[in-house]
Amino acid sequence: MEMILEDLPLFALGTYYTLYLTVVSLLLGLMIGLGIALIRVFSQNAILIGLSKGYISIIRGTPLLVQLFILYYGLPDIGVKLSPMTASILALSINTGAFLSETFRSSILSVKRGQLEAALSLGLKKWQAFYFIIMPQAARVAIPPMGNTFIGMLKETSLVSVVTVTELLRTSQLLIAKHLVVMPFYISIAVIYWVLSAVFSIILVKVENRLSFYEN
Amino acid sequence: MKKLILLSGILFLVGILFSGCGKDQSSSSSNLLQEVKGNDVLKVGLMGTYPPYNFLNDKNEIDGFDADIAKEVAKRLGVKVEFVPTEWAGMIGGLQAAKFDVVISQMTITDERKQTLDFSNSYITNAVNIIVDEKNNSINTLADFKGKKIGVALGTNDETFLRNEVLPKIGNFEIVTYNDPLTSLIDLNAGRIDATINNIFAIKPLVDKNNLKIKKTGEALKQDQAGVAVRKGNPELLEAINTALTAMKTDGTYRNIFVKWFDVEPE
Repeated sequence: MEMILEDLPLFALGTYYTLYLTVVSLLLGLMIGLGIALIRVFSQNAILIGLSKGYISIIRGTPLLVQLFILYYGLPDIGVKLSPMTASILALSINTGAFLSETFRSSILSVKRGQLEAALSLGLKKWQAFYFIIMPQAARVAIPPMGNTFIGMLKETSLVSVVTVTELLRTSQLLIAKHLVVMPFYISIAVIYWVLSAVFSIILVKVENRLSFYEN
Repeated sequence: MKKLILLSGILFLVGILFSGCGKDQSSSSSNLLQEVKGNDVLKVGLMGTYPPYNFLNDKNEIDGFDADIAKEVAKRLGVKVEFVPTEWAGMIGGLQAAKFDVVISQMTITDERKQTLDFSNSYITNAVNIIVDEKNNSINTLADFKGKKIGVALGTNDETFLRNEVLPKIGNFEIVTYNDPLTSLIDLNAGRIDATINNIFAIKPLVDKNNLKIKKTGEALKQDQAGVAVRKGNPELLEAINTALTAMKTDGTYRNIFVKWFDVEPE
């Protein structure tokens, strides 16, 4: 316990990096995911649809750890040198983007086609119909599966320890190498991860309730 | 009559005991060197997992610097060599239990080990050096680490050395940790860290295979010497090994083996 208190600043820094990675990657992932979902639902362009499908298939079908390795250690071979943080955020956002795009696609499709037709018949333009009618309804459906992805992402940030980012997992490994004791540190970060994901869940429940406004 | 039988029985038993002892004594008194020559084979314990020192080559044979040294020593003893691949943790136990006659596997000569084993003269000096990009001439000593990014594999002796000895002295440089030495070298090659520290011999296969443009620089940070380890109480074998090592060094065979594996002249 003393060891942990003594190294509290390091844990705080590790937590900061973990949270930072999670939040930034989530925001970027949301944008990527939404873009891909829109292409897959509304686009008529076969090339765009093909690319989106390929992206989802490759990213969902390969381990994040491998993607991270290729981005960080592989790209310098063709002259692209990403900093550890950039490579991590890129890999995490591209990865979440693929998962979120499927979440969004299914939630958009869950809104009955009659809604769109009704909106269009009232004279709304297509983008208006989507923005004001479809999106709010789809968003509520998307929240629970998004929660899964968010919490999954929070924990998967631990993988970026292999590209030298000192997030929570690497912090504990460094401390283990220093103190030669294992369990107190792993248990500490387990608690921190759990608290963080619990906070995430609470926020998501709040958001879901807010969006349920449209139900009533 | 009964007494006679009893007496002869006792004598018989004692005789067995003594003959047993006699056998024991003769085997430990006929020295290990003669035994090796009698069996026409020198059994060598080594890891087989530590390129370029000892490893399985493409033909699945034990190969490497240690293996070549072992072959040459055996040749000079006039016997064949037999490799016994052994995990490092079981190496000293295996030697004590006579699973093999000697260990030639980068075993560093230490005072602690000398209490339980005998060592030949050293057959290689390994050094930890600062490793930098080929074009980097600004880092030559530990003092030059100031303000730089120094990579090292997590949990290694090198990491402990950097953190506990160098960092307090030099101060103010960033230690970047990797899961293994290879990724730290690749990142050094990519220019994302400024230097690392390692044994230049041990990383040579990694450097060659990945075509890394890096070099060692400055004086050795620390050095240790490896020798052939022999069970205690076998001065004849030890003597013969030392003679073989000296002869190899004199006639240039040792140099050839050294250059073959490390591409530099032995010091």
